[in-house]
Amino acid sequence: MSSRTKKIIDTAIKRGQRALTEYESKRVLAAYGIPVSREVLVASASQARSAAKKIKYPVVLKACSADEAHKTEKGLVAVNLSSQKELNEAWTALNKKAGRGYDGNWLVQEMVKGPREIMIGMHRDPGFGPSVMFGLGGIFTEILQDVIFRVAPLRKKDARDMLRGIRACKILDEIRGMPSADKEVLVHALMAVGQIALDHPEIEEIDINPLILKGAKPIAVDGLIVLSGV
Amino acid sequence: MEKFFNPQSVAVIGASVSEGKPGNVVLRNMLDNAYKGKIFLVNPRGGQIEGRLVAKSIEDLPAGIDQAIVTLPAALVPETVLALGEKGIKAVVLAASGFAEVNEMGEGLQADLAEAIKESGVRVLGPNTTGHISVPANFTSSFFPIGKLRRGSVSYIAQTGNFCGISIRHLSSAENFGVARSCGLGNKVDLNESDILDFYGQDPETKSIFMYLESVANPTRFLRVARRVSQHKPVFLLKGGASDAGAQAALAHTGSLAADGRIVDGAIAQAGITRLSKYSQLFHVAKALDVMALPKGNRVSFLSPSGAFTVCLTDICRDLGLDVPKLEEKTRKRLQDLAPPFIRMRNPVDIFGSVGMHGYEVAYKDALEAVLIDRNIDAVVAILMLTTETGIPDLNFIPQLAKRYPVKPIYVTFMGEHKHNIAAKELLEPLGVPCYLEVEQPFEVLSLLADCRRKMRRA
Repeated sequence: MSSRTKKIIDTAIKRGQRALTEYESKRVLAAYGIPVSREVLVASASQARSAAKKIKYPVVLKACSADEAHKTEKGLVAVNLSSQKELNEAWTALNKKAGRGYDGNWLVQEMVKGPREIMIGMHRDPGFGPSVMFGLGGIFTEILQDVIFRVAPLRKKDARDMLRGIRACKILDEIRGMPSADKEVLVHALMAVGQIALDHPEIEEIDINPLILKGAKPIAVDGLIVLSGV
Repeated sequence: MEKFFNPQSVAVIGASVSEGKPGNVVLRNMLDNAYKGKIFLVNPRGGQIEGRLVAKSIEDLPAGIDQAIVTLPAALVPETVLALGEKGIKAVVLAASGFAEVNEMGEGLQADLAEAIKESGVRVLGPNTTGHISVPANFTSSFFPIGKLRRGSVSYIAQTGNFCGISIRHLSSAENFGVARSCGLGNKVDLNESDILDFYGQDPETKSIFMYLESVANPTRFLRVARRVSQHKPVFLLKGGASDAGAQAALAHTGSLAADGRIVDGAIAQAGITRLSKYSQLFHVAKALDVMALPKGNRVSFLSPSGAFTVCLTDICRDLGLDVPKLEEKTRKRLQDLAPPFIRMRNPVDIFGSVGMHGYEVAYKDALEAVLIDRNIDAVVAILMLTTETGIPDLNFIPQLAKRYPVKPIYVTFMGEHKHNIAAKELLEPLGVPCYLEVEQPFEVLSLLADCRRKMRRA
């Protein structure tokens, strides 16, 4: 268990958060070796511009607050911003949409592109304990319900079984000119999510969705860690 | 557990003179199965039952009794458990229903019972159970009339009384195989599936394990135990309440709540357990494993008297994940030598022409042996065609071949005249050859066994 992770969670609990922000969630995932999108937390337009320059365009601008779990539904996300001009415009538009009362920060994030979206989750079952979930990502998670569970701790072969166990498992193979997904990274990510839940009983749910395959490499583009209501 | 499954002495609390009453059937079952231990009976009225003296109370019993079977009404159960504990009887089977599965009053009673168990230190099977069976000990606590049981190598764990009741009657009368142990879990107030699975895992009499569960009492422990046991014994599970409607029914049946089905699916796979999807598989698969080996893999050959079967059963094999591979060339030659030249012999084996040339017994026997020897094949299904007009052959060559090639299972199925099918089944099954009345069944069974083999390798 990393003490950095514990600090992030403890601070969030002290602040009375029901969930970690996307930024905090991803710091936890990254601490366990799960590849996450490059991103910088910013509070002003000028900070956003210098972050974008560092990350390199195109970028994504997202609201990042403990209360804004469903950014997309509130429309506080602007993707594929390819220039400083577009970033400035998005900054103005999103701040307006967020309203004066908005007290959160913003995330400037690399734009990860790839047609294949998958997801990894964790649900704490009252009987079996932390159960790790794997499936198709994005809107297909809900539409096709093509998911598979294994109970933590996962052995390597459990994680491998998960990758092979969804109906759409061919999505991870070499297909239509796309390379085969890096299975070792996925296996590690699945085991790591189980380990995070075992190390931190305060975590009720983990949702990494989508995990985009950038070529062969899976990258967590969005992440949410929900805390138990204590 | 020894006191439950191999008791040297047993007391029936609530023994009854009236035929058909649980307190009487328990005794009858023990006598039918020639239980060799000492039997003590308790009923406040005293007197005699089946020529045996009846004690008036638990206090009147001698010391050192291994097990008690309680057939009293629910309300009397908690105090009885306390009395048994004081007498030093540590293994107790509770038949009564009327606990948490019924209503709030029952829930209260179950809480009192849990308290009594804690206080007395006894181990309890039930309540709300038909009991358990231990054929190697000639023993049963079942109050369902089950008759004389056949001894076998299969053991059951069931969250239903059926496998110490009606389903045992079915499998011993219709499926002609035997069991080693069987345990109806009831409401699992003390002993649960993990305890019994752990015991079966170490039990030399038990070669394969079949479970019917509607809930899992301690999922983490169950996973741990199942993972260990499934490494060296086939473990199968039919999970009741997998659908939402089924889960509602489970709540009414044994008062248990079903977990998220998809998590259960994952956990079962992880534990090396093979999942069943139909109730009948609990005996169709068990029958195959009681007498035959677990096939090494999924490569099947079958002998068919019909061209249509060779085609559509190959389709079914494919759907079931079974391979119908090419035979070795020497096998193919041997089959071709017995067949008319216009039939090209291969896998699956179209046996019709060979039967016409050499007669039933020679054709089937030689072909069956040829595919059994083939290194590309793990298991064989023989489809028999039996009619009065074509003649009924002497089928003893099948159990003889089964004995000669014990590593590769042979299953038999039929297409023909029903009375001959039944007669053949009644002949072959007691000789150790499982028979299935519908042509798809042996393939379904093989598919589950191949799945089981894969799971055991990976566990």
